[in-house]
Amino acid sequence: MNTIIQAEIPQQLCQQAQLLIQQGWATNLQEVINEALRRYVESHEDSLSEAFIQDDVAWGLHGDD
Amino acid sequence: MATTKNLVVADAGVLIHLDELGALDVLSDYAAVFVPDAVWSEVLRHRPQALQNKSIHLVYVSAVAYSPKVNAMAKIFTLHHGECEALSLCLDREIETLLTDDTAARLAANNLNLKAHGTLGLLIRAVRQQLRSADDIVQLLAAIPQQTSLHIRPQLLNNVIEQVKEEWRDKQ
Repeated sequence: MNTIIQAEIPQQLCQQAQLLIQQGWATNLQEVINEALRRYVESHEDSLSEAFIQDDVAWGLHGDD
Repeated sequence: MATTKNLVVADAGVLIHLDELGALDVLSDYAAVFVPDAVWSEVLRHRPQALQNKSIHLVYVSAVAYSPKVNAMAKIFTLHHGECEALSLCLDREIETLLTDDTAARLAANNLNLKAHGTLGLLIRAVRQQLRSADDIVQLLAAIPQQTSLHIRPQLLNNVIEQVKEEWRDKQ
C-alpha cells in the first residue's frame, strides 16, 4: 500500500535528480525519492540512535578525554 | 601547545543545541573547536549567536576538500554537505573527534575510525571535567525537549537522567 505525500524540495536538488533520471540512473522521480527516504530511514534507525546515545552517556561519565 | 587530542571538529547540530541550552561553555576546555565552512553557514542561518560565544575557541575553516573516503561514505549514509566537510576536516588535520548529534554522521565517523560525541555526552562530560555541577547538568538534560531542537525519545532521555543521577549520587 502506498501513501501520497506532498513536499517542497529545493529546485536545484530536483534538477539534479531529474538529471540522474535522464542519464538512466533511475526510472522516475518517485523512485529517487523512495530510495533517498529508504536510505535515510535505514541510517537513522531508532536502535542505532539509542546505541549511540548510550555510548555517549558512558563516555560522558567514564571517558578519559 | 595544543595537541590534536584536545582539538575537535563540530557539526552544526551540537553547536546549535548547546547554545539553545546556554551551555556552549561545556566546550571551553577544548583548545579549539574547528568549524568547516558549510557547518559555519548552517549555524549562521539557524543560530547565529552560537558563533559569537566568547567562552569557546571556535576556528572557522574555509574550503575543505572532500576526502575520497568521506565521498564514499556520503553516498552510503546520505550525509549532508556540512557533515562531509566536518569528517573530511577530521581526516585532513588528524583530529580524532567529531562532535555531532546526527546518527548517520556518527556511523560514518565510526567507519572512518573517528570518535563521535553528541550533546548529551558533552553535557555529562562537563561534570567529569568540573566545568558544570551535576545539578546543573541534570537540569539541562531535562530542559532538552522544551528548550532545544534536538529530538530524543522522552523515555530514553528519562532513562539517561536517572542513570546519571544514580551515578553521581554514588560519588557524592
